[in-house]
Amino acid sequence: MDQNELMTLQNYLQEYGQQAEIFVQQLQMLENGRLEAHAAIESLEEMLAADGGAVLLQIGGGASVRAKVVEPEKVLIAIGSEVIVERSNKDAIDFLKERIMEMEASQKKVAETLDRLRAQMNEINKRIESGYQQAMAAGQNPG
Amino acid sequence: MFGGLREKLKAARQRLGGSIEAAAAKAETEEKAVPKAGSPATPSAPAKGPVTSTATPSFVEKVRVLITERELIVSEKDVDEALSELEMTLLESDVALPATDAIIASVEKNLVGRHRKIGESVDALVVNALKVALLDVLGSGFNLKEYIMTHERPVKILFTGVNGTGKTTTVAKIGSYLKKEGFTVVIGAGDTYRAGAIEQISVHAERIGIKVIQHQEGADPSAVLFDAVQYAQSHKLDVVLADTAGRFHNKANLMSQLEKIKRVMKPDLVVYVDEAVAGNDAVTRAFEFDKTVGADAVILTKADMDSRGGAAISIAHTIGKPLMFLGVGQAYDDILPFEPAKVVDELLDSGA
Repeated sequence: MDQNELMTLQNYLQEYGQQAEIFVQQLQMLENGRLEAHAAIESLEEMLAADGGAVLLQIGGGASVRAKVVEPEKVLIAIGSEVIVERSNKDAIDFLKERIMEMEASQKKVAETLDRLRAQMNEINKRIESGYQQAMAAGQNPG
Repeated sequence: MFGGLREKLKAARQRLGGSIEAAAAKAETEEKAVPKAGSPATPSAPAKGPVTSTATPSFVEKVRVLITERELIVSEKDVDEALSELEMTLLESDVALPATDAIIASVEKNLVGRHRKIGESVDALVVNALKVALLDVLGSGFNLKEYIMTHERPVKILFTGVNGTGKTTTVAKIGSYLKKEGFTVVIGAGDTYRAGAIEQISVHAERIGIKVIQHQEGADPSAVLFDAVQYAQSHKLDVVLADTAGRFHNKANLMSQLEKIKRVMKPDLVVYVDEAVAGNDAVTRAFEFDKTVGADAVILTKADMDSRGGAAISIAHTIGKPLMFLGVGQAYDDILPFEPAKVVDELLDSGA
């Protein structure tokens, strides 16, 4: 394997690495969305269970206040396309569960793509290593 | 592709069909209860299928009679609820509000009223209404091959868009697509800003066997792309694909750089690239880009990972610019010319 070929493989590796980075970011975004939806479901269920009593409302920075939700049965929820609709507590939970399923399906697809990319990167890495070893054995300077 | 939307549309289509059938059956019952003066006391027999002489006709039979023998009258009230559900379905799939409104209005217009001797099922009636509505909002697409063949060459195509949406890979995919279609292509490595971008496009170009014009990192992208155009002109090539750095429309300095690129290379087409998975955000960004630097067509990447399909459905209608290609995977061949009729058939499972 000559130096040009090694350089090309290094470039391929870099290109795949950049693509993989983008997919990792996407996976993280999906995971954040999924966890947020789970937290929202938990809050909605707790609000109903509180039955008019006070619930803890997080206001950021680790601070919480006790709050009474005026209408725990009615939830305003963003359904997409910047549209917010009023739904019953149960319908909002169903909607969020459906969103979680969608996000999990997307996560699966992104993870599959990422796995394929990583397998290709491993393959390229192996070829680069073997190229280096050949060059070393032949007494060349691979760099 | 867009599996989630397909499932939801299937449910919406059944709901619409169900509402119409229920209304039709109700109308039939009422008609029988109050016979018109001079009309025969007994209902006419169905034209098709076995005639049940003794038992009361079943629900399906009643509907069949109504829509094959007579006229089917659908009122706004009959489909009101089902249309509201369809509206929610579209919004939940991230279809932009103006596109959703247009679809609902079109479906309503095509369903409400008299359908004479339609001789087809209620489902076919609903599918047809949905098909017309979707085709209206999807526009006619953009046939790049035809455009190149009917314009003076080299056809200069400038690719713009935000960072990290797969613009450079898309340029390579289109290069590969055009080469396979028999066109000669040169790529201009106009992303001189992002570290590794020039190497990235060079690697792609080498793999697909296309010449790439490049300067060093940090060079003026206008100069690179001007050279690419000069190269294409002197070598009588068909197409120049101009890659550029990703940028957000609110970054004034980068946008003025894009203006300069446009002045210098005078592109025939400015193509906005974004990812389908961004949903309505992609539509908003495309709108802003079009307002700032203009766009003639749109390419959506990562459509294979988008189950909702909102961006693909709404982008053409919302920004008034056609969708040109959909990126559907990692390989160079994973790019599909956007053909509205095919997409609609796939979404409604109504293809051949």
